[in-house]
Amino acid sequence: MEIQFKLVDFLLVSPAVALFIFSCIPLLIKVLRGNVEQNSFATLIWGYMGIIIAAGLTVATMGSNRTAFEGALVFDGLSGFTGLVLLFVAAVSLTFARDSESTNDKQFTENMFLMLNCVVGMLTMAWANDLIVVFVGLELFSLCLYMMIALSLEQRTSKEAAFKYFILGSFASALMLYGISFIYGTVGSTYLPDMISAAPNLLATNRLFLFGFVLLLVGVCFKVAIFPFHAWAPDVYQGSPTPLTSFMATAVKAVSLAFFLRLVASQAFSVERFWPFVDVLQWLAVLTILVGNVGAFRQKSLKRMMAYSSIAHSGYVLIGLIAAGIGGASMLGAGGVMFYIFSYSIMTIGAFGVLHLLETRADSDLTFEDLRGLGRDKPWLALAMTILLLSLTGIPPTLGFWGKFFIFSAAVKQGLVWLAIWGVVGSIISVYYYLRPIVAMYMEEPTAGRYTFELRPLSYFAVLFLALLTMAFGLASEPVYQAVLASVSKVF
Amino acid sequence: MLDTEALMRIGLGHYIALSGIIFSFGMIAVMMRKNVIVMLMGVELMLNAVNLSFVAFAKEAGNLNGHIMVFFVMTIAAAEAGVGLALAVAIYKKFHEVNIRFFEQLKG
Repeated sequence: MEIQFKLVDFLLVSPAVALFIFSCIPLLIKVLRGNVEQNSFATLIWGYMGIIIAAGLTVATMGSNRTAFEGALVFDGLSGFTGLVLLFVAAVSLTFARDSESTNDKQFTENMFLMLNCVVGMLTMAWANDLIVVFVGLELFSLCLYMMIALSLEQRTSKEAAFKYFILGSFASALMLYGISFIYGTVGSTYLPDMISAAPNLLATNRLFLFGFVLLLVGVCFKVAIFPFHAWAPDVYQGSPTPLTSFMATAVKAVSLAFFLRLVASQAFSVERFWPFVDVLQWLAVLTILVGNVGAFRQKSLKRMMAYSSIAHSGYVLIGLIAAGIGGASMLGAGGVMFYIFSYSIMTIGAFGVLHLLETRADSDLTFEDLRGLGRDKPWLALAMTILLLSLTGIPPTLGFWGKFFIFSAAVKQGLVWLAIWGVVGSIISVYYYLRPIVAMYMEEPTAGRYTFELRPLSYFAVLFLALLTMAFGLASEPVYQAVLASVSKVF
Repeated sequence: MLDTEALMRIGLGHYIALSGIIFSFGMIAVMMRKNVIVMLMGVELMLNAVNLSFVAFAKEAGNLNGHIMVFFVMTIAAAEAGVGLALAVAIYKKFHEVNIRFFEQLKG
């Protein structure tokens, strides 16, 4: 057997290579200077350079629809689009991380190294066309995340969060790996297209394959915090430093959902034998929406509230995933999911960014009271937060509304009307807790003195830019949606 | 005389059953125990059970993919153990014991 790697294969994976090289440079400089941290702004510039080069290379290879390394990686619209979302999110989180009290001390270089390598793992998972590669990418980004959380300068809760995430994450990836072993045993290969072409037949006849496929779904559901596997998310999101929370809540979900979408492309949900599981998945979507929204209702800590809200958003995406997997007009479901990943990433990272800007100590944990009077003292920041929260609720001209609209309309077209109704009910519940911070910002008198501290300029600019994007893409959602549909149509 | 031949012929099913049993032990260790080190051991046990089932399936299918997968899993398990033990050291420095009963800051 002869294995040939062509030059074009290396060209296709060059975004990951570029990110890795640029993540090493600041670390190397630090070592050569005798373990003395260089100016964190210079480190940040190295990181930006890596990300910009990687994004350029991703755009260059995006339309190629090629596979690399004997079919182990695939470069289609889905992976290219996800890659761009990931790189954008990473650039924003890196900006936040430099400005945060809990991540930027003498360890910013290490933080940046880990974050860029985290993105390398995520890109690998987004490109993966083989279950081995999926697993390697998943573990690479998870291990980087565990370490980044534990590196936080805040000592108590971050250690707890890191360990909880580590144990539950390893547990879930072991389950997923067990599922992969059964899939390998029944299909005879770990190559994803082999699995996808064999899935409808094997799901109907082979119980071992069914078990493996369900375990694989469980592993993915854990990463995106679908209902019975969601319990880690609030604890970990609250305990981690806010820049990392913003990164986890967006990038990890984006890449796991993209992989979920790739699995769903097998149209497994249209196989009659799988229907009981589809019923379970539908109930899980409903329960995820309810648990997320009702949980967010009760929270005092804003970070914890946002964590529950991100669980609810996973529920909405699951509706789209079910619509994408049951045959018929599945394209619409897939397009809705991709659009939602994009819109959710922008608005969630923006909302976490506002919380991050208001944190003055490494261990601050903001509550609703801390937002009082923000509308008077920092009007622009309050306006940005208002836009982002309205978008998360799904108020019409914003990006979040279109995200929900495309998913729910796909569900209705596929005959999943009751799911769409539950989604709308969930959104109505969410109005309460998304509007409460807005009320606190504009209508309540401050209790604890005014906001006299300076906002850190780079993060402030990033947050304003994200709020602007939320409005702009909301008003011009049609071209984006068409682009997403065009990129997804080649996969499905 | 009893026919012991059928019992002695070890096939794919036996290996899969064994890997299932080991995997369950690992799961129980992770879920029931409070000691951080024992939980790490549980995770390792789960990953090794998966390795066993990969090797058994690879032998059955007669291709090398399963064996290659085992090498990947071993490498990743080693990396995971490294990170896990580093976290255990960090927890020990803070709480002077490696036990998760100190974890009560985050709830609700």
